[in-house]
Amino acid sequence: MASPTPPSPTGPFRLLGHRIPYVEGPLKVTGRAEYTDDLRRPGMLVGKLLRSPWPHARLLSIDTRRARAMPGVVTVLTGERYPTPFGVLPITHDETAIAVGKARYIGDILAAVAAVDELTAERALTAIEFHIEPLPEYADPRVGAEPVAEPIHAPGLRGSNVQKEVVQHFGDVDAAFAQAAFTARVRCRFAGVTHAFTEPLVTLAEATPDGRLTVYSATQVPHYLHRTLSEVLHLPMHRIRVVKPEVGGGFGGKSDPLPHEIACAALSLETGRPVKMLLDREEIFYTNHGRHPTENVVRIAMDRDGHLLAYDIEALLEGGAWSSFGTVTTYYNGVLAMGPYRVPNFRYRGRRVYTNRPPSGAMRAHGGTNIRYSIEVALDELAEHAQLDPFDLRSRNALPPCSTTINQFRITSTSFLRCLDAARRASEWDTKFRCLPYGRGVGLGCGFYISGSNSPIHFTPVMPQSTVHLKIDMDGGITVHSMQADIGQGSNTLLAAIVAEVLGADLDRVHVQRVDSDVSPIDIGSYSSRVTFMMGNAARRAAEEIRARLVNAAAELLRRPPSELRVGHERIEVADQPQVAVSFLDALHKAMENSGALTASGSFSTQKLGGDFKGARAGTAPAYSFAAYVAQVRVDSETGMVTVEKVWAAFDCGRALNRLAVEGQIEGAIHMGLGQLLSETMNYRASRLMNPALLDYKILAPDQMPEVEVLLVGEDDPEGPFGAKEAGEGPLVATLPAVANAIYDAVGVRCRELPVTPDRLERLVRARRAEGYAWKEDR
Amino acid sequence: MHLDPFELHQPATVDEALCIYRDHAGDADYLAGGTDLLPNYKMHLNLRRHLIALGGIPELGGIALGRLGSMTRLADLEGSGPVAGAYPGVAEAVAEVATPLVRASGTVGGNLMLETRCFFFNQSRFWRASLGYCLKAEGAVCHVVPQKEKCYATFSGDLAPALAVLDAEVEVATDRGRTRIPLIDLYDLRGDGIRRHTLPPSAIVVAVHLPPIARQRLGTYRKLRIRPAFDFPELGVAVAVRFEGSSVAELRVAVGGLETAPRRFDELTDPLAGQQLTEERIRELAGAITRSVRPVYNTFLPPDYRRRMTGVFVRRALVDLAPASSAAA
Ligand SMILES: Cc1cc2nc3c(=O)[nH]c(=O)nc-3n(C[C@H](O)[C@H](O)[C@H](O)COP(=O)(O)OP(=O)(O)OC[C@H]3O[C@@H](n4cnc5c(N)ncnc54)[C@H](O)[C@@H]3O)c2cc1C
Ligand code: SF4
Repeated sequence: MASPTPPSPTGPFRLLGHRIPYVEGPLKVTGRAEYTDDLRRPGMLVGKLLRSPWPHARLLSIDTRRARAMPGVVTVLTGERYPTPFGVLPITHDETAIAVGKARYIGDILAAVAAVDELTAERALTAIEFHIEPLPEYADPRVGAEPVAEPIHAPGLRGSNVQKEVVQHFGDVDAAFAQAAFTARVRCRFAGVTHAFTEPLVTLAEATPDGRLTVYSATQVPHYLHRTLSEVLHLPMHRIRVVKPEVGGGFGGKSDPLPHEIACAALSLETGRPVKMLLDREEIFYTNHGRHPTENVVRIAMDRDGHLLAYDIEALLEGGAWSSFGTVTTYYNGVLAMGPYRVPNFRYRGRRVYTNRPPSGAMRAHGGTNIRYSIEVALDELAEHAQLDPFDLRSRNALPPCSTTINQFRITSTSFLRCLDAARRASEWDTKFRCLPYGRGVGLGCGFYISGSNSPIHFTPVMPQSTVHLKIDMDGGITVHSMQADIGQGSNTLLAAIVAEVLGADLDRVHVQRVDSDVSPIDIGSYSSRVTFMMGNAARRAAEEIRARLVNAAAELLRRPPSELRVGHERIEVADQPQVAVSFLDALHKAMENSGALTASGSFSTQKLGGDFKGARAGTAPAYSFAAYVAQVRVDSETGMVTVEKVWAAFDCGRALNRLAVEGQIEGAIHMGLGQLLSETMNYRASRLMNPALLDYKILAPDQMPEVEVLLVGEDDPEGPFGAKEAGEGPLVATLPAVANAIYDAVGVRCRELPVTPDRLERLVRARRAEGYAWKEDR
Repeated sequence: MHLDPFELHQPATVDEALCIYRDHAGDADYLAGGTDLLPNYKMHLNLRRHLIALGGIPELGGIALGRLGSMTRLADLEGSGPVAGAYPGVAEAVAEVATPLVRASGTVGGNLMLETRCFFFNQSRFWRASLGYCLKAEGAVCHVVPQKEKCYATFSGDLAPALAVLDAEVEVATDRGRTRIPLIDLYDLRGDGIRRHTLPPSAIVVAVHLPPIARQRLGTYRKLRIRPAFDFPELGVAVAVRFEGSSVAELRVAVGGLETAPRRFDELTDPLAGQQLTEERIRELAGAITRSVRPVYNTFLPPDYRRRMTGVFVRRALVDLAPASSAAA
């Protein structure tokens, strides 16, 4: 294995901090990596789902006899067979694998069929007969926020479709506004967007005669799937085995336990045969769980000197048919406004409303994206009113390191000021802002995001969020087990690199085992940007335990006290006499003398953080990432077409442990953010999704990506592994406001409705011209 | 989504293909590159049980300056230096069709005979059934303009406008023999989105013929869409013009991606012969074209915007092509 190149400005480590190619890269680029759909089992059946053509209907009766009688059909399942409700959050179990009693959106699952092949299964679906009573359809969350005739679930507040309401108030917001020198008020509307991961949703389930059930699935949280299968199918967890093969992207869309996964497992239990269920792209659009369509109003008060006095925020989230992560989302849309600035007074009212549409859920930069947009756009306006440079306004209000926010978030490391400084200088901001010709502009947007959620969903505080097991036998290979879920973001590579770094071993000694609940210790998976921080700390601890044993063995061989030794590359050496050393293998074999293979376990648990009020734990994290992005755009004022020319992305992820992966995450996050800003939309007409296909759901193409200059300026976090925080989600949020503020600099219009498609922007520019006030062309 | 089974026929001559079609009239389709037809089949749109592949008919191939065989792959047309040099507008248009992968299979004939498109039509059977089928496939109403008993699906090929402004002709084979008609006459705006061309259903497009005079014309093709690397046109504007000195000798403008058929505006452009293409004339022409087109809301971008952009695109194309002496931007 070649050592990574080039050794860059990276600090004290041999591997970490460098650019480390993905360990599974060669398998992926040659097509040899194994995804769930690549798996085949003997006697395997095909599972298919019948989906509701009605947005809201009472299911009066279902007749599956004709379908069951068809040759090649092995079984047909309806909702009553496994009616136990579930949901990713224990407090909101409102989903069922297959609809029971009611259909709640176009695409809701009504029945599942297992048959010998796809064609037979699809034909069987058409032979299932329903009697239904159509119910009033609720597509507009503003309507659903009031009392309704037929609530979608058990009635919420005052007989409405409200699923969750959050009200928080810290300090005295009204008093702060009363004494403000400057205020801004911004109302923005955000269309829903979806993850659109490349690998489709797919599950293969195999119930075996020994009473066990094995489920292979494209999931980013194998552990929640494991729990949910157990709850709904009434099988003890130890008789269920969950395996996660390679996963081709998730972005949050594979973090809920999903109904098709349970339905597929149920079909296998019923038939006693392996069943594979591969959803097509349209079904994936209906499964959704993407970013909530949102309307928010942000008011900000500022004093004469540019110090922020208060935020007053309202948000209305459209939840779709299920709760999913929605309670968390509702909190996040308020509390994730608490950084990167010091905000002394804060009020928030957020509501999430069920609708008869595909469920909303968690999507990359969950809960932090839309609120961040409105705040950063409002700050741009405030800076203009106060005749302050947008950078100066932000640096004046930066949260300092080792501080506490008004809602008691604990801020440890922050390199936000360094981000501002780097972005300002690299982009040559001071020569461009309000100076570029009409149609071209620069804008600043900043970011703040959690690095892991301090309070795991299911766990008591004593139970670790992450555990890593290591095993080294005499061959010198190091096997790593963990239920962390690599979904393409590079966590396997990081896991291997941390272990290799601590042990001084070559990277090719380390093999990260595929996630398999029979052997992998629990880690709660890939979401909330937690993996590097938590798994990284767990891996480090496990490797340090092994290292101590190797050092002791070497000490015996070298007849030196362990304290005089250190780990070198593939060897253990005397610290002040490095030519005196034993090889890694010699030390290993010595250490194994009486014990056999070396094994170790490392884990990571969070300590309690946050205040003692209701909802205090939402948004608490062991660390936070910070960002300052400058975008430069060209706007064709006559067509409304936006070209993003360049993004300078200054990011504080603490120490970047794999620079290659961090840069990839930042570039990918910018691409995703640009899509939400400029073109992506879950385009509904009432309850009907008009574009459940990748041709009509407009993800920007690679040739529309701007040049991205990544500026990694983070200083070490005191608690993160080797100083690291997160780079998975935080890099998204600054993108949208940076570009929107650049559009303002270019043509003088504020974008309040996303996506900013060319027709919308053209209309705004025309309206501005019709009002007769000119923008930069007159200066 | 699966493809329902069908029977594949592989004739070696045009006559054989026509004969097979006759045997299965009403239940057969011609298959060229399949990049339009097969996705539509997967969505169960107007399925036929017999597919007659045109790929094995030598006569339909061949690419030369004056003649493009209908089975010419779009990628080959794009890569053909002499053709691109002589017909810059065609070269621009073909490079804008879909993706490199689609262009590697998609053909000139298939592009001209493309199925029309609509938000309510290019959907799975599940989707369409849940709303109720529409006129164009299995249903009785139009969801876009419910008052009318007509289909407004949008013609979305990029090549037709670019070829139409060159006065290209198509050679067509039918049961009654061969004919050659102006390419623009393949389409008829008085028809609708269901009957997307004027030929009998059994007709085979053999080749496109380009008049040599095209060599001296300046040409361009401008396309409106969100993603240059994928998307169907929401508007396509083709212009070909020949100047004598600083005045117009011949001018043709055509648009696609707006209505059920591509359209040329000879009645507006012919009177400009002999005139200078001044900024004012360009604006008038662009305005007149804008006023005459009638897009509906069945694609991604709203129709009022696509209409306004028609004027902008026409104006910009003409300004760019006009000799510096006559038009100022
Ligand atoms: C993702 C995607 C994006 C696309 N984007 C664009 C775009 O931007 N612009 C654009 O113009 N097109 C686009 N297309 C549409 C289309 O695939 C191409 O235009 C292509 O040229 C069609 O040619 P084909 O040979 O594949 O046609 P086929 O699918 O084989 O045939 C299309 C139709 O024409 C008929 N036909 C084909 N050849 C003949 C013939 N010689 N005589 C009589 N009838 C014939 C067929 O029976 C069928 O009805 C896109 C397609 C996809 C899948
Ligand atoms: S325009 Fe009307 S009839 Fe034609 S495809 Fe669309 S909905 Fe159907």
